[in-house]
Formats: sequence, structure tokens, C-alpha cells
Amino acid sequence: MKLAEALSIVQKTSAELPEFGVLLACGITPLHLQNYLAAHLQALRPDRKVRISSGLFGDLVGTLDQASRQDLQAVALVVEWSDLDPRLGYRQLGGWGQIELADTVEAVEAMLNRLENAVASVPKSLILAVSLPTLALPPGFHTSGWHASAMEIALERAVADFAARIGRHSSTRVVNRQKLDLNSIPATRYDFRSDLNTGFPYTTSHADVLGSAMANLIAGPVPKKGLITDLDDTFWAGLVGEVGHENISWDLSSHTQLHGLYQQTLGMLADHGVLVAIASKNSAEVVNRALSRPDLAISKKKIFPVEAHWDAKSGSVSRILKTWNIAADSVVFVDDSPMELEEVRAAHPGMECVLFPKNDYSAGLALLHSLRDLFGKPGLSEEDNLRLESIRAGQELSKANGDPTSVEHFLARLEARVILEYNSSTDDKRVLELVNKTNQFNLNGGRYTAAEWGQISKWPGAFVLAISYADKFGPLGKIGVLAGREEGRALYVRTWVMSCRAFSRRIEHACISALFQRFGSENMFFEFKATSKNGPISDFLAQFSVGSRDGQVAIEKTAFETKCPKLYHQIVERNG
Amino acid sequence: MDNIEQRLETIFATVFPDLPANKIKSASHESVDTWDSVAAITLMNLIEEEFEIEMDFDDVAELTSFSRIHNYLKGRVSPAAV
Repeated sequence: MKLAEALSIVQKTSAELPEFGVLLACGITPLHLQNYLAAHLQALRPDRKVRISSGLFGDLVGTLDQASRQDLQAVALVVEWSDLDPRLGYRQLGGWGQIELADTVEAVEAMLNRLENAVASVPKSLILAVSLPTLALPPGFHTSGWHASAMEIALERAVADFAARIGRHSSTRVVNRQKLDLNSIPATRYDFRSDLNTGFPYTTSHADVLGSAMANLIAGPVPKKGLITDLDDTFWAGLVGEVGHENISWDLSSHTQLHGLYQQTLGMLADHGVLVAIASKNSAEVVNRALSRPDLAISKKKIFPVEAHWDAKSGSVSRILKTWNIAADSVVFVDDSPMELEEVRAAHPGMECVLFPKNDYSAGLALLHSLRDLFGKPGLSEEDNLRLESIRAGQELSKANGDPTSVEHFLARLEARVILEYNSSTDDKRVLELVNKTNQFNLNGGRYTAAEWGQISKWPGAFVLAISYADKFGPLGKIGVLAGREEGRALYVRTWVMSCRAFSRRIEHACISALFQRFGSENMFFEFKATSKNGPISDFLAQFSVGSRDGQVAIEKTAFETKCPKLYHQIVERNG
Repeated sequence: MDNIEQRLETIFATVFPDLPANKIKSASHESVDTWDSVAAITLMNLIEEEFEIEMDFDDVAELTSFSRIHNYLKGRVSPAAV
């Protein structure tokens, strides 16, 4: 991104939007790093007006200390060698060489300890993005440039140890140095002229990449949830219908290792909670034989569902989306045929359609890296392990849904338990993840930063309810959040989300019923706002609404109890 | 209006978004409140980016108005690049 473009993005954003405050803590003059960070964040959060504040030149610790005193959503900490010991930069003449720098490792470790304490003081509700030295050390060591001196190795180790220590905190995200090296060539990062004249040491191209990296750590795109893959010349090399299941390959000796690496990547993604399905134009029997080969690099049971027939791929994709119950824009489709990609893209706008490359090693490697970027998430949760099993269980429910008698029979025998955890910790990452990622059963589409969510529990009469679910098919984990306040004989609900995995089990009915009982309220008012995707909650509220007041949908206890279908759940209430 | 002048006006509008368009050509360090050291460096970097030149910091200290920068650029930017 050119500097002019970065400035233009920031200037064109309406000042009327709610602010997204970020504290940039750096020892250098922030200058264009601030501009690029603002521009990249603004591009990622067009719903907010990004505001970047910075501290005093050279005072990293003092700047971090300000984090708790400002209205912020995130902190960006950028550290260079000169911040750890000014002798490791070019703007001070403190001496170089074995004698002058004898205590530099000790000085750097002491500064890193001070920084660690300052990092610990940053409120946990804020995302802390950290970049550790990106510029080369100066030529102040006794060895030749090709020869890493013991002192340089010790300095690198001190920084790596620091990264490992602070990276353990769930709200801290450290810039991946290897990724940065791929996108900003180390030899082109340092601007000697600018450093000496202005105190800003980065070339604009490096400021651009580093700003982008930090912005992605703070407000990166929502990870995709599912991947649908083609088989022939994608999942494996060869046309299985022609050469037979024993002659398709994905190994080094056949020069088809990329397909094995792709399978291995899908296996990793599945382990991380990503849904993986197959859409293939092949006979189901042939595919089943091939998927039963014991040398697959992904377990067959991690793939669900498998659509193998001769119908259009877009139809297969539709059925898979229905089974998963997620939207097209949460899914990546991979195929080696540009025509198939186009057909799916046309039928499912918003779906990320990715070409599996042929005879192009660079593109193959790029594909593996891009899959990591598309699906990468800051942390893994218990729910990630449960997702696929809950979808398989949901399939059982879908089969029963065609027949009302069968539905009641099925639900009555589910042995369902709804666990309602009142006033759950606002630090619970899964709760905020649900609030910010759920689309279909979402009361109003409101999105919150961790800091904003932390304020919710401070309202007078506030309650925050985390909803978990389990039945005889196993636990679904934490699947819903409901937050609001009690006022008089009424409850006012501001946030209500429920994962689509939990649909059709009457969990939403159970929640309303339990709330009426716990609070003894006569009415509930919901801050409903229609979005392009929240039809399911709109339909649910419409069934029980007795009208609206001040723009809020009202549900009366007696009317609800009259219309509510039979509930079979065991309700377990806990206080967080 | 020559091409250099036009491109320079766009740069000024980017660095000083609150400056009315009709005041850009008469803008100077004295007349624009927000023309501080950060703005001066940003101007310099945008000019370098737009005209693909490298400026000397000693020159920058002298480039304290739109017209001075315009004249400077007329001497630095080859007609082919214009």
C-alpha cells in the first residue's frame, strides 16, 4: 500500500463511527508506522473509526502503563534493539565492540524484564499485539558479518525467551517473524537516512508490512469454518474412476507429494475444529474404496459429509452447507478445475473458491500457506473438538424432523441437558467468540471488543448467561450467550446468540423458560434488529411476540407458556 | 496548471485535509497551523513516492511553502517523468 493511499483511507473514514482505540507503544518515532497501522486496521474494521494514540518517544514502559487509563480496544507494542539498549541502534554513541558492549546482554535482559512487567499490567480485556526486533543489529561485534558472535546469539535468545513468556497469555499475540520475513525482505527494511534525520528507522514498505501484520493480529478477518474439497487431481493425483483406487497417489516417489501435504493440512485443520467435506464427480462406491486406503494422510472419519455422484458441484456444496448449517462466506471450496470453481462461485457468492494448482510448485506451497491464513485462529477451544460430532448428531435430528411424532420421540430420548452459567466471566474467550461470530441466531448483530464486553456486566441489574448443552450424542460445549438487565418485573435482553449447531433442540425455548422462572419476571423485552442473516431468531421471536415497545420485541410469560412446545431438557443452573 | 503542480496539490490535500482547495497554492509553513515537523516529513515522503525521487534533508528545511516545493520539483523532475 502506498503511503498516500494509507493516509487517504484514514482521512476518508467518517468521524461519526464509534471509535476503535489502539495504543501504539514504540520507542521509535511512530510516523508512518502509525499511518499504516491505522490504514490497515481501518480496512479491517470499516464499521469503526480507528484512533491510534502513542506515548513518549523512547518510553516504551511508560507508554504501556497508560493502557489501563485510556478507552482502548488493543495495544500494539513494537520493540526494536535500540529500545532494549540504545547502543544497539545508530542514534546514540554509547560505544560498540567487545569491551563497550560487555554488559549489553545483561542490559537487554533487564529491559525485557521491565517490559514483561509492563505487559502484565495491560488489562487482559485488551488484545496486545507484539512485534519484536525486525531490524538487524548494528555492525558492533568482533566477528565478521557472516559470523554470528556469541553476544548476538545471546541477544537473540533473550528476545526469543521473552516472546515465549509473554506469548503464553491468551490476549497476547506475537508477530510471526517467519511470515514477516516472507513479506518484508530483511535487507530492505532499514532506512538509515530517515533514522538519523527523523528517528523513524523503517522504509515505507516495511512500515506497510509491519502495520499490516499488527493490524491482522488485532482485528484479523474472521477465520473460515469449513473446507469443501474436490478429489481427483486435488485431494489425490489421478482420476480414480479411470485408474482405480490403487493407482491414485500422494507421495514423493510418484512426484505427487503436494496432494499428500494437502491431505495432511486438511487433517490438521479438522483437528483444529474446521469442518472438512468432499464434493466429487465420481461414483460413490469408487470414492469409498479410495477413501478406505490406509495410507491417507487424513483419517476418513474427519471428513463429513462426502458428496460423490455425477450431479453439479454447486448442488453438492448446497447440501454440505445445509448439513453444516453455516453460510457460504464461512467456507472455502478447493478444486483443480476453473470451470467447477466458477460454477460453485456463481451459485454461492461469498464463498472463497481456490484453485488447486497443476505442475506449479510455488503455487502449491502458497496454497498450503494460504489455508493456514484462511483458517488460523488465536486459540483452540473444547468446542473445536466437538464440532464435527455435533453435526453428525444433528444429522440424526434432521432425519427425524420430517415427522412431528418422530421429532417428539427423538427429543424425548435425547437426554438433553442445558447448563446455564449466570454471570460467567467476561474474560471467557469462547463467550466473546460466540457473540462476535454467530450470524443466524443473533438478536441484533452487535459486535463487541473484549473491552466493551467487559463493561456489559457492570450495568445495574445486569446478567450475562453462558449456555452449554449436552445430550446422549455427547456435549456441544458452550453454544449460546444471553446478556441483559433486570428492571422491575421485566428483563431487557441486549445480546442473544446461539450457535447454529444447537438448532432444532428447543434450547432457545428452554432458555426463555428458565429465565422467566429464575427472575420471576412477567415480561421480556428483546433489542431485536434485523440483519441480512438473522432470520432464525426473527422467526423464533415472531412465534411468541405480543408486540413491541420502544422498538423492542416483547414476550409475556403467560403467552409464552401457552405456545411453548414440550421441553424435555434437564436445566442445570450455575453461578459463574 | 502543469502536471507537477496538479500532483503536488493532491499531496497537499492528503497531508493537510482541512486546508481549503483554494488555499493550497498559497500554503506555507507560516499559514498552515498543522505544518509541523511530522507534516513536513510526511510531505517529503509523499513527494518522493509520487515523483520517484530522493530528497536531501538539507533541502527539505528550505521547502517551506507550496510554491518553493513546486519550483524545487520543476528543477528535479525530468520532463519525461512529468
